[in-house]
Amino acid sequence: MQIVIADDTVLLREGLAGLLEDAGHTVVARVGDAQALLAVVAEHEPDLAIVDVRMPPTYEDEGLRAAVEIRHTHPQTAILVLSQHVEGRHAVELVSSGGGFGYLLKDRVLDVDEFLEAAERVCRGGSALDPEVVKQLLAPPREDDALSALTPREREVLGLMAEGKNNAAIARQLWLTEKTVETHVRSILGKLDLPPDADTNRRVLAVVTYLRRAAPA
Amino acid sequence: MGLTLGPGKRSHIGTTTERPSALAPGCVSVPAPIAVFPAEANDPGMRGLRIAACAVALGTVTELTVGALHVLEVIPSREENWIPLSIYPFIVVAFLAPTVVGLLIALQQPRNTIAWILLLGAFLPTLQLSAEQLVGPAWSFQSEAATLPLLFAWPVAIAFVFPNGRLLSSRWRWVAGSAVVSFAGTILLKLFDPEAYPPPNQEIRNPVLGNDFGQFVVETGLWIPFALGVLVSLFAGVVAVVIRFRRSVGNERLQMLWLVWAAMLTPLALTYEVLANIWLGGGGDTSFLLLMAAEIALVTAIGIAVVRYRLYAIERLVNRTLVYVTLSFLLLGAYAGLTLGLGVVVASGSDWVVAAATLVVAIAFRPLRSRVQEFVDRKFSRARYEGVRHVREFEDEVREGRRAPEEIGPVLAEALGDPGAEVLFWLPETGAYADAAGETAADLPEDDRARTEITREGVRTAVVRHDPRVLERRDLLNGVIAAASLSVEMARLRVELRLQLAEVEASRTRIVEAGYEERRRLERDLHDGAQQRLVSLGMHVRRLQRSLPREAAILSPAFDQIVDEIGAAIADLRHIAAGVRPARLDDGLSAALTDLARSAPVPVDVEAPGERVAPSIEAAAYFVACEALTNAVKYASASRVSMRAVRESDTLHVSVSDDGVGGAVLRRGSGLAGLRDRVAAHGGTFEVVSPRGEGTRIEAVIPCKS
Repeated sequence: MQIVIADDTVLLREGLAGLLEDAGHTVVARVGDAQALLAVVAEHEPDLAIVDVRMPPTYEDEGLRAAVEIRHTHPQTAILVLSQHVEGRHAVELVSSGGGFGYLLKDRVLDVDEFLEAAERVCRGGSALDPEVVKQLLAPPREDDALSALTPREREVLGLMAEGKNNAAIARQLWLTEKTVETHVRSILGKLDLPPDADTNRRVLAVVTYLRRAAPA
Repeated sequence: MGLTLGPGKRSHIGTTTERPSALAPGCVSVPAPIAVFPAEANDPGMRGLRIAACAVALGTVTELTVGALHVLEVIPSREENWIPLSIYPFIVVAFLAPTVVGLLIALQQPRNTIAWILLLGAFLPTLQLSAEQLVGPAWSFQSEAATLPLLFAWPVAIAFVFPNGRLLSSRWRWVAGSAVVSFAGTILLKLFDPEAYPPPNQEIRNPVLGNDFGQFVVETGLWIPFALGVLVSLFAGVVAVVIRFRRSVGNERLQMLWLVWAAMLTPLALTYEVLANIWLGGGGDTSFLLLMAAEIALVTAIGIAVVRYRLYAIERLVNRTLVYVTLSFLLLGAYAGLTLGLGVVVASGSDWVVAAATLVVAIAFRPLRSRVQEFVDRKFSRARYEGVRHVREFEDEVREGRRAPEEIGPVLAEALGDPGAEVLFWLPETGAYADAAGETAADLPEDDRARTEITREGVRTAVVRHDPRVLERRDLLNGVIAAASLSVEMARLRVELRLQLAEVEASRTRIVEAGYEERRRLERDLHDGAQQRLVSLGMHVRRLQRSLPREAAILSPAFDQIVDEIGAAIADLRHIAAGVRPARLDDGLSAALTDLARSAPVPVDVEAPGERVAPSIEAAAYFVACEALTNAVKYASASRVSMRAVRESDTLHVSVSDDGVGGAVLRRGSGLAGLRDRVAAHGGTFEVVSPRGEGTRIEAVIPCKS
């Protein structure tokens, strides 16, 4: 994969680049602000852009805004946004707006395999939503909610679906067979009145969109 | 006024008054054209006139000296006790007074007609004092009788041209001209008087005794029209003064008032003389003294009116004169009446009667004076009386709580009859002025309005900015300001207090905002500093772990543990940062409260506005909800909590209610008390309703503009 990294913390940027290169990817550019990010994306048209939310000059949400712009100008470039804390609202909107987008807390990097998998998934047109964000989307259970009809196991599966994982990954994580996961997924989609879809990416988007609408505020 | 006044010649009476030097034409009613222009001072013609004035004055003094030598019999006179020794000082004063005043005016304004009337009016009659040496006793006697009209010629002349030195109109030239002809004719014809002198001067031979022309004049009555002319001139002088007084406005009115005030003293002196004649059998030197005083007062008044020094004090002077004269007459009448009345009842001339009458008069003095003062004010100073009454009524309304002292501005404006007048309160702490609304300004605006300071116990409290014409009504201005000074001071204190309070509130808000910014910065530092470093550290560990040779795989769990520890530290940091200021507030109060509700162990209903308010206010509202939620869960054993944040025009209402055990109290140092302070810092209110067993409701109302 051809990757550009935008993060104003040199230490973190270099560490991340090292990890990715160790995994066999090519980091074509490392930049420290949104302006430079847009330039290198235009120049290299990479497969993936890993973007820090807060960057100079205002340290507000430059990264997110740059991500939206890349989305429009270079749709073929997948985007993985990294954040120091959950400020998920915009991220969920972006994730549900189509595939090829991920939003993770920075410390997910420490679980290297998981992180690399998410990066690759996003690159393939899938999505990645941080478990913290998913947790917020799912809690708390409300009586009048269709979500409350789900069994605890189904909620677990739904959460992992929202994170962007496919049946195999879910099965691996929950120590279940893929068949069992498929059964759960069918049941969940039925309960939430979502159309059954064989394509994982489209299914994930449907789930995230559903959760976003269901979530209060 | 300012138009004709030379620089540095402004009068300052009572309260100090600053006036802009350049006034727009038309804003001054009638500028009296008595002017001293700096250019005139260096004019050679002016210098000549000044020297001439000095010469005339010197002439008068010389003549008076000659007269004194006569009286002291250093120079022999045609008769003994030519003029009684006791009377001569009065004569000296009578001639010196107009001379001195005339000279003073002439030195300042050499072309002023009035100065020359005074100077010559005093000088010409004194010529008589040396006539005997110059023309012999006979002609001296003849001319003494003839020039008698000169003694009252100058007051008539002044009456014609006062106060601006010019006649009323061109038609008055005829009047003035016939006056001159009448006076001159009378004097001239009298010089030819052929009559022998009456006793005791019958031995002096009249040099024109039996003169044909003189006989002709006497026989045909030729002198009569001239004598009548003199009488008419006297009357015309009075008419001229009356017309001027009626027409006068502004400064000219004040000038006329000075003349009228002084003229008033002359009848008073005459009245005294008449009364003295009736009761004491002649006023003697006392009445002469009073007449002298009246004359000195008259010329002084003329001088003041012309050079306009202390011009503005006249209304007060007239007022006081009227009050005390009336008071004297009343008390005198009362005393006389009591003495007589009691004398009939008790024994006449008893000491007791005198004592009782004196006591009554002494007791009656103060209340009577205030009555008379009020009466005089009402009758003769209507505007002042009404103005002061207006202010008093306002003060009553303030006392009854129907009006606020700050409304004194419009009340003063109405009392002064100047709708544009405004009061600016002086704030000594900040050295600035403030209006009733609390708008402050370091300096007063520069315009053509005059400024009058209001002081209380010698300390400036406010400044009234008003039309310069108000200055012409000094009595009104001073009276109204004196009456209003208490209200002004009250209003000033209130305005000052309000401004200080606003400043305290503003500074408190600034401190809170600063605190909020500090939290925000701290949160950023935690996220972007320490947390980033930990993540980097973890990544390096991971890379190290992954680069280990296969044989070292036994170390892997240790690396995992290190990374887990780092992850826990990051989670801790994130938790701390959220406590300092939840990052979710970036997305608004609604988002932050929703997050808060999700993390709660009991179901929480959230209702919050989607619209944004100031970040510091959102934070305050968030922490209220957060603390209330913590309390509900921790102490109230609530099973359900409801959080509402509602925007109502300019306030944000935050209420958190639970179904717990209740009984919460605001205790010093408690979390709730901290919340109350936090809310108060934003100028809001905080309330805890927590009856035992009926749950708790915490309500905060925080003002939020925009």
